[in-house]
Amino acid sequence: MNRSRGNDQLFQELCRDIGTNRVHRDGASQLLYSRDGSAFPGGIPGVVCFPETTQHVVDCIKAANRHDRSFVPRGAGTGLAGGAVPCDAPLVISTTKMNSILEVNYEKRFAWVGPGVVNLDLTKSLTGTGFHFAPDPSSQQSCTIGGNVANNSGGPHCLAYGVTNAHILAIEVVLPDGTLVQLGDVDGHASGYDLRGVFVGGEGTLGIATRIAVKLTPDPPEIRTLLLDFMDVADAAKTVSAIIASGIVPAAIEMMDKRIVNVVEEFVKVGYPTDAAAVLIIEVDGLPEGVKIEVERIQSISLEHGARSVRVASSDEEREQIWKGRKSAFGAVAQIQPGYYLHDTVIPRTKLVEVLEAVYEIANRYELIVMNVFHAGDGNLHPLLVFDPQEPGVMERVLVAGEEIVQVSLDAGGVLSGEHGIGLEKKRFMEKLFSEEDLAAQKLLKDAFDPDGRANPFKVLPSGASCSEVNHLNQLPDGAWV
Amino acid sequence: MSTSLNLDKDHLTACISCGLCLPHCPTYQTTQDESRSPRGRISLMRGVEDGLMPLSKEVIESLDTCVQCLGCETACPSGVRYGELIGQTREVLNSHRKVSFRLRAGLWILLHMRVLLFGSRVLAVLQRLKLVPNKALPVPSRIPLRGVRYVQNDDPEVILFTGCVMDVWLSQVHEAALSVLDSIGVRYMISGNQVGCCGALHSHAGFRSTANKQALEVISALPSDLPILVDSAGCGAVLKEYGSLLGTQEARIFSSRVYDIHEWLINDSKWRESLPARRPGNKKVIVQDPCHLRHVQKAHTSVRELLTPFVECLELDDEGLCCGAGGAFSVDQPELAKEIRDKKLKSIQRAGRHLVVSANPGCMIHLESAGVEILHPIQVVAEYIGGKEDHE
Ligand SMILES: Cc1cc2nc3c(=O)[nH]c(=O)nc-3n(C[C@H](O)[C@H](O)[C@H](O)COP(=O)(O)OP(=O)(O)OC[C@H]3O[C@@H](n4cnc5c(N)ncnc54)[C@H](O)[C@@H]3O)c2cc1C
Ligand code: SF4
Ligand code: SF4
Repeated sequence: MNRSRGNDQLFQELCRDIGTNRVHRDGASQLLYSRDGSAFPGGIPGVVCFPETTQHVVDCIKAANRHDRSFVPRGAGTGLAGGAVPCDAPLVISTTKMNSILEVNYEKRFAWVGPGVVNLDLTKSLTGTGFHFAPDPSSQQSCTIGGNVANNSGGPHCLAYGVTNAHILAIEVVLPDGTLVQLGDVDGHASGYDLRGVFVGGEGTLGIATRIAVKLTPDPPEIRTLLLDFMDVADAAKTVSAIIASGIVPAAIEMMDKRIVNVVEEFVKVGYPTDAAAVLIIEVDGLPEGVKIEVERIQSISLEHGARSVRVASSDEEREQIWKGRKSAFGAVAQIQPGYYLHDTVIPRTKLVEVLEAVYEIANRYELIVMNVFHAGDGNLHPLLVFDPQEPGVMERVLVAGEEIVQVSLDAGGVLSGEHGIGLEKKRFMEKLFSEEDLAAQKLLKDAFDPDGRANPFKVLPSGASCSEVNHLNQLPDGAWV
Repeated sequence: MSTSLNLDKDHLTACISCGLCLPHCPTYQTTQDESRSPRGRISLMRGVEDGLMPLSKEVIESLDTCVQCLGCETACPSGVRYGELIGQTREVLNSHRKVSFRLRAGLWILLHMRVLLFGSRVLAVLQRLKLVPNKALPVPSRIPLRGVRYVQNDDPEVILFTGCVMDVWLSQVHEAALSVLDSIGVRYMISGNQVGCCGALHSHAGFRSTANKQALEVISALPSDLPILVDSAGCGAVLKEYGSLLGTQEARIFSSRVYDIHEWLINDSKWRESLPARRPGNKKVIVQDPCHLRHVQKAHTSVRELLTPFVECLELDDEGLCCGAGGAFSVDQPELAKEIRDKKLKSIQRAGRHLVVSANPGCMIHLESAGVEILHPIQVVAEYIGGKEDHE
């Protein structure tokens, strides 16, 4: 399809409908909105739109329909699976300016927010009210709640509190044909199929969320954070299983291996033991009495399973510092090498030790550095392959090694993605996990929302062409736009 | 047209586009637009370097709207040296686009102390006659009418760096600093008008050769091995950077003599010994960190340490987000500077109705012109030491 035909027309209509200052099509914007937080090479957006209201979003999607164009919703662009990467010169619809907290209802414990509200900003705005928004991805200071909904994001504290899906009551959605609907209901009385639940995790392929009703979670009265260190990764993994087997469900259990501890310590300098093979960060919360007992039990279980030391944070600052280290982990790896490629598989907790060993072995075999930092409590691995993209041939090795890591996880009874989504990046693995019938059923669901294939095309479901092939067809000279 | 920015490739590739810097960037926080973010600016620099992007109007705007607060550098877990990238880029940009008249005129005046002095006296008189509306110019609301004659000691132990505008517009801060030194018996001299401007704003604006020339002058005007104390965070930051700017041994030695005054005092034995005699008050002050103290010198905690024997320090809830002053930024990008300041004002409001302290003249002037009651931290200390602790 020739994308340059009728483009001035589309651009002008968008300017007319939502305002000139909210529509960009210069080369700089096209470059900037071509990528997200993943290493996935970007496509090229046709036009970048910055709606500020639901009506603006409706206008954008209607314009896309009139001109037979696709669109890609985009939040903060911290996604790690290429979900917000534009393929086929679509409208990129950035929700970052829809960032108002619209209504807070403490009595019924919910808030309506714009999709561009930054996760941590919501929680910060609730400081002192006794409530917070529970999903806490490590990118929470930057990522948007719309992005969290689309990727059904998780975070360290989702072990006890559940991932994003458990915290979304209702969503106002502009469907791919421009109609406005509300899925779910703040009182939980919606009848019929749970379409809200279908939309959460839809990765922008089912429409755009324009208002989101989130649950407010009461702050726990008492929180204790423990830092444990081990001279053997296997001991750390066994400790995790033993804690859960004992019936304790901590708010969070995170594991970092030696390499990642070293780079993180370089950044935060809080005294993570850099000689340990692995550290665990464990948090327990609840009523003070219960927390005290759980801390003691975790201490004794971990010492029985080979922990070298257990440090209990003594102040809020110390707690924050310990978490800051964990939450900067992905960013900090660039201190070693400028590129990283990470997977997000979930494996049964009982297989932790053997899968980790296999991951180290695969990396060694391909002469790559691997670092492990992950949600140990629910077996959600994040093996990071760290490399210098400039090195000739390295990308091939990284991809093959990545594939083997995924295979090992699937063989152990695991799944492809815990929280980062499938996006562009993992869709080639979908056939490994799902049968043809499964995939056909998923395609039917997608078609029900989006019969014309307008919403975030080339994502999630395997398709004939890949985004890079599509973009290749759309390669443009400098300064031109599509 | 392809242009090279001569940037270090390793510095550029160190950015992995994670976006963790976004909340710490004042221009992204006010616009929510990638072209006003650190990650976006780095991508554009990379695009230009790789020949994918011409130095278009939009690229230049993106780079020109950076405050150079370096909030992003502190926030970046991968250690991207954004300051070096933008410094180098600004220098190249200057040969590709016009620098605004306001900015050029401002930078010129700083290097001409006599013009600055004369102009300021005229302005001071006009202010008294209410002939210039408050807030019309980026200057303090009450410029002193005449210059101060500082008393200096023989056989000094330290030098107070007095700089250019600060000496003319905010000499009361220098007086406060000297009175604090007096109170603990530290003998001092001042750098004075002969030394003048440190070149910080020129360096910021990418006029590196002018900045280097100023650096050489300042270094040769202040020989000896006396510690140089600075009560302007912006000047202190660049004086500490002379070593890396000029790359000479002499400059490195000079830079190693430079201290922010708060940083120096809390480590000084005379100051420490005099501490038990301090009387704590029950006053609260809001500490606003100048970016050059927090993100560049990383000496901002010393302000709190110095103040806590006297007052209770309140923190803002924006994690050191820039106030929008940004050296000459508020002159060059007045609209954006105001939007950024509005965010800061809200944060100040949330902290309560208290006096604000900020250790940099640019931030003081920028916030004062929005009606904020503001002092330099050393003024608060001086008032307590001088027995005027009931200041409200
Ligand atoms: C350092 C780092 C740490 C991270 N840690 C975690 C973690 O702990 N847990 C985790 O789950 N993820 C993590 N991530 C991944 C990422 O931050 C999350 O997936 C996040 O939810 C993405 O939000 P975003 O606003 O950046 O969305 P984007 O990246 O902009 O978009 C992500 C997807 O959501 C879609 N989308 C965005 N907004 C909407 C909307 N309003 N309506 C419909 N679709 C929309 C996009 O089309 C895209 O498919 C991390 C990323 C980084 C860089
Ligand atoms: S500058 Fe640092 S924090 Fe910002 S996107 Fe790049 S790597 Fe991430
Ligand atoms: S220096 Fe300040 S304004 Fe410039 S990109 Fe970094 S955070 Fe943003």
